[in-house]
Amino acid sequence: MFDKIQNLRNIGISAHIDSGKTTLTERILYYTKKIFAVHEVKGKDGVGATMDSMELEKERGITISSAATYCIWKGHNINIIDTPGHVDFTIEVERSLRVLDGSILVLCAVGGVQSQSITVDRQMNRYRVPRIAFINKCDRSGADPKKVLEQLRQRLNHNAVLMQIPIGLEGDFIGVVDLVAMKAVYFEGPYGEDIKVGEVPSHLIDEASARREELLDVVSMFSDELTEAILEGEVSEELIHEAVRRGTLQRELTPVFVGSAYKNIGVQPVLDAVNRYLPSPMDVENIALDMNNDEKEVILSSDPDDLLVALAFKPEVTPYGQLTYLRIYQGSIKKGDDIINTRNRKKVKVGRLVRMHADEMEEISGTGAGDIVALFGVDCFSGDTFTNSQLSYTMTSMFVPEPVISLSISPKDNKSDTNMAKAINRFVREDPTFRSHVDQESGETIISGMGELHLDIYVERMRREFNAEVDTGMPQVAYREAVSRRAEFDYTHKKQTGGAGQYGRVAGYMEPSEDGVYEFINEIKRGLIPTEYLPSVDKGFQSCLQKGQLIGFPVLGMKVTVNDGKAHSVDSSEMAFTHTAIGAFKQAYKKSKPIILEPIMKVSIECPSEFQGNVMSSVNQRRGMIISAAEDGVFTTVDAEVPLSEMFGYATTLRSLTQGKAEFTMEFSKYSKVPESVAEELKKRLLERSKGG
Amino acid sequence: MNDFIKVSPLKILYKSSYKGLGRGNLGVLMARAGVGKTACLIHIALDKLFHKEKLVHVSLEDVPEKVTSYYNVIFSDLVKALDMEDEYENRLLLDRNRMILAYLNQSFEVRRLRENLKNLIEKIEFIPDSLIVDGLDFEEADREIFEGFKEIAAEFQVEVWFSALSHRHITDVNERGIPYPCSHLDDLLSVIIQLQPTQEGVFLTLLKDHDSEVTPDASVRLDPNTFLATT
Repeated sequence: MFDKIQNLRNIGISAHIDSGKTTLTERILYYTKKIFAVHEVKGKDGVGATMDSMELEKERGITISSAATYCIWKGHNINIIDTPGHVDFTIEVERSLRVLDGSILVLCAVGGVQSQSITVDRQMNRYRVPRIAFINKCDRSGADPKKVLEQLRQRLNHNAVLMQIPIGLEGDFIGVVDLVAMKAVYFEGPYGEDIKVGEVPSHLIDEASARREELLDVVSMFSDELTEAILEGEVSEELIHEAVRRGTLQRELTPVFVGSAYKNIGVQPVLDAVNRYLPSPMDVENIALDMNNDEKEVILSSDPDDLLVALAFKPEVTPYGQLTYLRIYQGSIKKGDDIINTRNRKKVKVGRLVRMHADEMEEISGTGAGDIVALFGVDCFSGDTFTNSQLSYTMTSMFVPEPVISLSISPKDNKSDTNMAKAINRFVREDPTFRSHVDQESGETIISGMGELHLDIYVERMRREFNAEVDTGMPQVAYREAVSRRAEFDYTHKKQTGGAGQYGRVAGYMEPSEDGVYEFINEIKRGLIPTEYLPSVDKGFQSCLQKGQLIGFPVLGMKVTVNDGKAHSVDSSEMAFTHTAIGAFKQAYKKSKPIILEPIMKVSIECPSEFQGNVMSSVNQRRGMIISAAEDGVFTTVDAEVPLSEMFGYATTLRSLTQGKAEFTMEFSKYSKVPESVAEELKKRLLERSKGG
Repeated sequence: MNDFIKVSPLKILYKSSYKGLGRGNLGVLMARAGVGKTACLIHIALDKLFHKEKLVHVSLEDVPEKVTSYYNVIFSDLVKALDMEDEYENRLLLDRNRMILAYLNQSFEVRRLRENLKNLIEKIEFIPDSLIVDGLDFEEADREIFEGFKEIAAEFQVEVWFSALSHRHITDVNERGIPYPCSHLDDLLSVIIQLQPTQEGVFLTLLKDHDSEVTPDASVRLDPNTFLATT
């Protein structure tokens, strides 16, 4: 158990892919003596970075699954969640942010604030995560930390302030000037572990003084004491740190650090900043919903002696059974405790309790509020809340985006069939954006997710981790159907085949619902349909929404009003009214002029400005609507909305259009009506496929 | 969208000799800081968009997200103020016919704008009718930039509208009565309108009307909250 909750930090390291966050984590683990050798992400030693524990991650040099680890720095326990940078894995980022108290936003000194940084920053805002920024790769050719600072201010709207300035840049980058202490800091030794503090180099005195003035000016907004001290000319380092901490905790200030994790420069000051400026669990207000009190919001106490409330934010399957990452918000947990899963009220005994360090673990006997640990052998889903038996609290559910793409998969042999089922069962538990179902008509297994790469990784994992060889079909967009106008129904279901018959009549109308969700309105008067049958009518309509009659995709946003009907004292039943509603739906649906909806993605493409025209043209050819183009120096960011169906293979197209110098991210934006011409083509194609299948 | 057109601040131009700015010409909306220049400029943009014209919003300061949110806020206010029924269609009209080009961190050059406009026309067949230019510093910008815009206006046959910041303490006017900071650009600008708060309300006044004399009654009173014309 850690000593004091005030000395605990739960932090994430989030950023654009390839900005060096895994390298930064690796150095942090080295300096905090959790590892004793440094391995690079794509290192020649073939070991790979410690946090990239999955074989696939090591191979691709990207972090797919958040690996949790903890370390101790100057008396503070720090739990670190490393998060993936690719947008297809954003659920991992979302899940991490849900349980974190603070974050390090890593930015590349060359690439600056890129599109994925914007996505990640938006997610951090959603979960109100205070952050510090680290401008990494200052040793690279083209490094321009001042430009990145401006981008932080302009593109991410941060009140960003430099806490350090670099000594030299690119190949000459050798250290930093600490603007609080007004000292030069150098990092010596094979891995920069020996910190040498010296005077500010003479050529940087003017710049450092000006930047310190700027720093004091900005942070004095958060401290009257500091303002007074500035006026009196007696500014202490403690006063500055205190003011920076206040501003950071209020999320009104982003202190910015510079360095190069790869060259071992500037990492230790970032750790100091984590201790100094990022919140402890006590500084953050966490809210649960009381299920016994009409889901009333309850503020959790962060008190280890209080009743337990903990959130399972990541179940993971290991060779030793299910491992569940748990954030404890209130109370304590120890080996042998009985805890309750609020979702199903099932009692679970705490067996092994471990702290995770990438794929290694350290067994512990217990821990308290604020901490992040992992449990073995607990059967649960991501997002489940655990309490002791006296409470029935649930943490507010995490934002889970709907999958937008699906893929049919079929096992190559019998052995793979069993293994594939096992794999899917595990992935569904680990990742709420990964879904699976069996198509009733074709009998095919369909997996759904957030993008091509997302599903690609799971198919690969099936093969590598579960020995399941599968064939995949073409990616399929998650289309939807919707009614476009009001249509009346008046349907009588009558069946007499010996014995008790079936009878029901329902009349009313269906129409588009304004907020896009299904709504059932009962306007039956004088008990024409007995109250006990109305839920069956509702159920009948809802069952039809699973599969629309236009192209067989789910129906979105429909309001059904039932205002007339008839029942029979003997032949009416719940089943009869469910069938009546199904008949009524079929009767009215075609009349309601159903339309096809398709997922529209918000696409952001970054490219050197000379390729702007080509990029715009490529978006336009994909039925995309360009919203804006923003030039910043020699780079342009083109933002557009593009139908997902048109985005398959876009990475390859973009690469060839821009000599590999552009990149893009996309995330789901909304469902929109498919244009008539495309809809006709689509209907034909889907019809042929269903005939063929 | 006739409801809006009736109360659009651009109604002021009905009092001008050409009933508008006209293609190939530059127009300026002048106001002191904090009076609502950007909001009024976006109303001018909405007037163009609701006339089904295609518009390029050139931002020299703000990121596209911020520009979009300005439009969204003003559009939402309009929906409420005018009790707009066809909100969805109008929003679509706005999204489809507006393009935002932002030039951040002093990356603006007339040459780049010309290339980008060509790209829009040639690559995606977006042929603009008007340009709205926000964030150009009239005090710092060289005359060449305005000459460049004049050439662009003529070359692409577009109307170009700017916003310019005026100051209470600088009362200089040129021989034709055109105030600072437009006084030295008088020959390049065809229309100048000024947004001015007074005790009687906010007024939009025509200061320059092509080569014609400005009539004394050439002003429109605006609602200070919605910037819609009330007279």
